[in-house]
Amino acid sequence: MRLNEKSQVRDVYDAVADPTRRQLLRLLADAEELPLHKLTDRFPMGRTAISKHLTILKEAGLVTDRKVGRETVYRLDASPLKEIEDWVSYYRRFWREKLVLLGHLLQEEDK
Amino acid sequence: MDASFDFVYQSPIEKVWSALTNSTKLAKWIMANDFKPVVGHKFQFRTQPTEWWNGIIDCEVLEVDEPHKLSYTWVSGSESTTVTWTLKSVHGTTHLHLEQTGFSGKTQAFEGAKFGWVRMGDQLEKVLAEL
Repeated sequence: MRLNEKSQVRDVYDAVADPTRRQLLRLLADAEELPLHKLTDRFPMGRTAISKHLTILKEAGLVTDRKVGRETVYRLDASPLKEIEDWVSYYRRFWREKLVLLGHLLQEEDK
Repeated sequence: MDASFDFVYQSPIEKVWSALTNSTKLAKWIMANDFKPVVGHKFQFRTQPTEWWNGIIDCEVLEVDEPHKLSYTWVSGSESTTVTWTLKSVHGTTHLHLEQTGFSGKTQAFEGAKFGWVRMGDQLEKVLAEL
C-alpha cells in the first residue's frame, strides 16, 4: 500500500456517504478545476451549505483548493479512492485463493 | 468497499460449516487462528509478518447461526471490515456466499458509500488512469 502523504482527518466513506458530496465529486471529475460559484450554481442549497460539503471532502483528502484572484477553485484528488480500490482488489485475490484451498480441504475429507 | 463471492462445494452443509468454524481446519485454508464459534469471542488470524504488516488480523465474532450464517470483524492494519459467510444447502451441495464489507454496524452510511463508489467508478476512470 502506498503511504498517504496528506493527513486525512475524515473517513473517506463518511465523505462519499452524502448524495450532494457525491454529485460534487462527479462535477469535479468532469473538469480539471471548478470555482466555488460554478459548483454552487448546480445545487438548490446556498453557498454556505456547499462550502461545508467541500470542507468535508477536503478533510477526507478527496478535494484540494486554491485561490485564483478572489475566488476559491476546487480540484478532485482521487487517490484516497484508489487506495480503497487497491484494498478491494487485494481481498478479491486473497479470498479467491482461500476458497479454492477450502475446496481442496473438503475434497480430501470426502475421501 | 466490498468484495463478494459465491462458491458451490460438493460437500454437505455441515462439513462446510465445520471447515469455517473449527480452528484446526480454518488454519489449513485461511491462517493459524484461535477462533471459537461464540458471539463476542475475540480472536486473531496470524501469518508471516512483512516489512509493512505485522501479519496479524484482529477479529471479533459477531453472529453465529449454525449452519447458515457466520460473521466476524476483520481488522488488519488500518482497514476495518466485516466478513460474512452465508451457507445454503442445495440438493446435498453447499452454496457458500462470502461478503466482506467496509463497515461493521454502520450499514446505512455504507450503502451510501457503496453506491457512491460504484457510480463514481466509471466517471473517474480517466482520473485514476493518470495516477
